[in-house]
Amino acid sequence: MSAAAVAYKDRQFLAVIGDEDSVTGLLLAGVGHVSDGADAQRNFLVVDSKTETSAIEKAFVNFTQERKDIAIVLINQHVAERIRHSVDSYSDAFPAILEIPSKDHPYDPEKDSVLKRVRRLFGE
Amino acid sequence: MSGAVGREAVFPTRQSLGLMKGKLKGAEIGHSLLKRKSEALTKPEITRRIDEAKQKMGRVMQIAAFSLAEVSYAVGGDIGYQIQESAKQARFRVRAKQENVSGVLLPHFESYTEDGINDFGLTGLGKGGMQVQRCRETYARAVETLVELASLQTAFVILDEVIKVVNRRVCMEYLLISSSEHVIIPRTENTIKYINSELDELDREEFYRLKKVSNKKQRDVAAADAEILAARQKEAAEKEAAAAKGEPVEEEKEAPEEEAPEEEAPDVLGEQEDADVIF
Amino acid sequence: MEGLFFNVKSGYIEGIVRGYRNSLLTSQHYSNLTQCETIDDVKLQLAPAYGDFLAALPPNPSTSALAGKMTDKLVAEFRYLMAQATGSTAKFLQYLTYGYMIDNIALLITGTLHERDTRELLERCHPLGWFETLPVLCVATNIEELYNSVLIETPLAGYFKGSLSHQDLDELNIEIVRNTLYKNYLEDFHNFVNTHPDLKGTPTQEVMSDILQFEADRRAINITLNSFGTELSKQERRKLYPEFGKLYPEGSLMLSRADDIESVALAVSISADYKAFFDAVGLTQGGGGIGGGSDGKSLEDLFYQKEMETSKLVFTRQFTPAVVYAWMRLKEQEIRNVTWIAECIAQNQKERIGNFISVF
Repeated sequence: MSAAAVAYKDRQFLAVIGDEDSVTGLLLAGVGHVSDGADAQRNFLVVDSKTETSAIEKAFVNFTQERKDIAIVLINQHVAERIRHSVDSYSDAFPAILEIPSKDHPYDPEKDSVLKRVRRLFGE
Repeated sequence: MSGAVGREAVFPTRQSLGLMKGKLKGAEIGHSLLKRKSEALTKPEITRRIDEAKQKMGRVMQIAAFSLAEVSYAVGGDIGYQIQESAKQARFRVRAKQENVSGVLLPHFESYTEDGINDFGLTGLGKGGMQVQRCRETYARAVETLVELASLQTAFVILDEVIKVVNRRVCMEYLLISSSEHVIIPRTENTIKYINSELDELDREEFYRLKKVSNKKQRDVAAADAEILAARQKEAAEKEAAAAKGEPVEEEKEAPEEEAPEEEAPDVLGEQEDADVIF
Repeated sequence: MEGLFFNVKSGYIEGIVRGYRNSLLTSQHYSNLTQCETIDDVKLQLAPAYGDFLAALPPNPSTSALAGKMTDKLVAEFRYLMAQATGSTAKFLQYLTYGYMIDNIALLITGTLHERDTRELLERCHPLGWFETLPVLCVATNIEELYNSVLIETPLAGYFKGSLSHQDLDELNIEIVRNTLYKNYLEDFHNFVNTHPDLKGTPTQEVMSDILQFEADRRAINITLNSFGTELSKQERRKLYPEFGKLYPEGSLMLSRADDIESVALAVSISADYKAFFDAVGLTQGGGGIGGGSDGKSLEDLFYQKEMETSKLVFTRQFTPAVVYAWMRLKEQEIRNVTWIAECIAQNQKERIGNFISVF
């Protein structure tokens, strides 16, 4: 447990994958962070209809596995739908994945990967 | 109560009845305790809380999205790109902490703001700055809710692991529950029933004996009464001549005392009936 | 006499604009719109006014798509006017587009600073702020190149020269750059309507001076209020105030020294109009929020309201291209109103749906 404790002590940022409005709003709340240095990394990705699924996938892997400073990944549910397999098969505790509604796509509990796990576990 | 589980081999005595009753009570208490524990382990509580929090998130995010609509109304344009480009340092951050919840170390996210950082202070300077400010506050509150939800969800994910690890123990306990439900309790109950029926049998024999005794007694008493009556009639006839009073008073007093045993017999019967109802 | 000469060159334009004005939504339309249950209903209600422009929208479009299509119509109509205009009227219409150009340039500066591919930004640019050499600016890879091409290629060169160097673009917050440019633009526009031989002494000068003064004051007040609690220093702030308007110079000086809302209220009290606004939102009482007064109107709402009323009055004047300006403002407000109503419907926040500004 102690190794894990060290691992998540550095996790202090939130990451966002979502449509422009969701990202703008969350950035206004102050979650945006761009790392210093030549290969400046952003902790957010704006997804529109033109964004390739592979780009979303890449950002998701980057936020969940490569970066060690992210505690929570917020992802629009309709974006999560596009990479549903990756989201569903992700099972680590850190960072936490949270599916959030967007302006044009209200929240549907049936699709939420965590709630699906909850239901599966209790056979509901 | 199925008869298949049988009963324990005991002598049907009052003492063993008391013992069995104690055992049944113990089994029932144990059963309800185990059952409660297994319910606590399956955590419908967490499910409910996650469900509630997700609903709340839906509402909060809607309000936040609406405040963004207010911004675009006031600014009269799109600020998205500018916001994305001016983000530099996160103002809103989280701290991960551990909490000990019934022996399991659960992480807990705590949000805090770096007050010195203000990437969007000048956004909407010429127009709509106030709405931008309000929108920032609304979203900050929304993100706080999201962070809470993330804590809850992470707690669940970790608990999920823990539950898998202790699954075997839960299985054992489940066996215990079902064994107490389907074996121990019926078996004890059967034993109690057996003891009761045996005791009843004994009671009935005893009653029959008592009845015989009391019948015999009654006969004797009746004979004695007849004798006394005959004697009295004789005496009365003798004393009529003498015309003396006082003695009959004494005789009347004795008569009710003699009839008392006769009334006791139905009383014994009544007691027996009561016992039958109970067991 | 002036009418005779005006109509030779620009009578047609004025006629067209008056026609456009009649297609603006009225309060009757708005009350129908607020009854809608879905965006499709909104679309249907808008059909008479917007016709073909909304036809391409998918069923239940997003509010931003709706707003985009409505803007397209405004742009198409304005371009038609541009094509018809000659002489000083054409120049006047040019001036109207400069405000949008400033926003577009600010967008490109932001993109270049962060080394993004600025070509992607072109579609984000406001179509009214489009000029032929805009794509050329995307060739610039660093801020110095961009600065030089802005100076050479754009009509905005004058607004950069003398007040912003290329180092400034790098160092100053983009909002300061934008507001500096806007200040220069307003001053230039004000100067134009007051000195151009064709406009001087005409209703245009009269009407536009009023409008631009109001615009200048509004910006000064907004900048002051929004700068509280930010890193913008008082000296920098003062540089952003346009140097004309009802508040200039005494009010501007007081504004530049203001530290809180009360002192802003004091500074603007030299103009009865603004004082009334501040009283209405309760800012002078020191309480309340900046956000909203008792009837839910914010200071910005009141400014918009005032702007709309002024614009409506412009149509009582004749022989002036100022009606184009007024029509554009009204049309923009209409797009904002419809977007707001659509947003309220889409997000199920009907209780605030009446929070739009309608003057007809």
